[in-house]
Amino acid sequence: MEGFAEYKVPEGKLVSAKVAYSEKIYSVQILGDFFIHPEESLSEIEQALIGLSPGEEEDTIAEKIRAVIASKGIEMIGVTPEAIAKVVRMAIG
Amino acid sequence: MGLETHPASMNMGIDEAIAESVRNGAAAPTIRFYRWNPSAVSIGRFQSMRKEVNIDACRQAGVDWVRRITGGGAVYHDFNGEVTYSVIAPEDMFPKGIRESYAFICSWITDGLKGLGIDSRFVPINDIIADGKKISGNAQTRRNGILLQHGTILYDLDVKKMFSLLNVSKEKISDKMIKGVEDRVTCVRRFSDAGIEQLYESLMKGFTGGKEYDIGTLTEQERKRAEELSGSVYASDGWNFSR
Repeated sequence: MEGFAEYKVPEGKLVSAKVAYSEKIYSVQILGDFFIHPEESLSEIEQALIGLSPGEEEDTIAEKIRAVIASKGIEMIGVTPEAIAKVVRMAIG
Repeated sequence: MGLETHPASMNMGIDEAIAESVRNGAAAPTIRFYRWNPSAVSIGRFQSMRKEVNIDACRQAGVDWVRRITGGGAVYHDFNGEVTYSVIAPEDMFPKGIRESYAFICSWITDGLKGLGIDSRFVPINDIIADGKKISGNAQTRRNGILLQHGTILYDLDVKKMFSLLNVSKEKISDKMIKGVEDRVTCVRRFSDAGIEQLYESLMKGFTGGKEYDIGTLTEQERKRAEELSGSVYASDGWNFSR
């Protein structure tokens, strides 16, 4: 199955997610007009969500993203781990 | 570098070639001003080309498309409608925080606009507003110790044309929506009779005020590298349609 959702981050930018899943999430694409430094790290965030259960709680998804950010020294502007988790959750439905 | 005009892929290639040159110590910190011919839509690093840009409409209108290395949103760079700048320099010349460095560089734009009698101010994250409406959008990246910030200063605004090139649903391209954008976005022509060259000259003053500088051009090596990047990256579907 595949889902798509869009979310406007309060005081921030627009973020959307395209998520493909069956028993597990097997593909995630995060899109939007936000900033992530370094830019290449968005793929690492997307990769970190692959393999999660589509029923995963929003908080757990956000925690996964926060862990990648902390380990790689990533800076987000106009988007937050919580906003990405929210839109991924919305995309799965 | 003085005002130059290039196609979209070359404009992006030049930015990256200069960044490499500054990193290697082969070029001084650089400020460049440029226009886009053909006119083009640039999208942010994390946007989807097909979702944001009406490729068929661009083809019909002879408008290019390109993905930037910077984040941010889709921008329509009309040849007669805006001036783009880039600042490419070691990041230790700027405030450490990205948000603070936006404010730092954007103050050069507001100084430039002041030269045309336009009062404007920086509004975080990355916009400049005049009379409460956006007149400039900016985007920054940092890699290998080099800061690259580019941005657009709107000279003229054709919302209908802009919407025809972006993927805004037909229902949304109503008179009401167009009016909505016109209420939120503005341009130099709404404040001043200055020509686009005068805008560039005033921006040049704003950007270079209080700095020692020479006006230069690309070296042969930089031009070759820019052409290479233009062809292999910025004109390629692999890059432009990667999302």
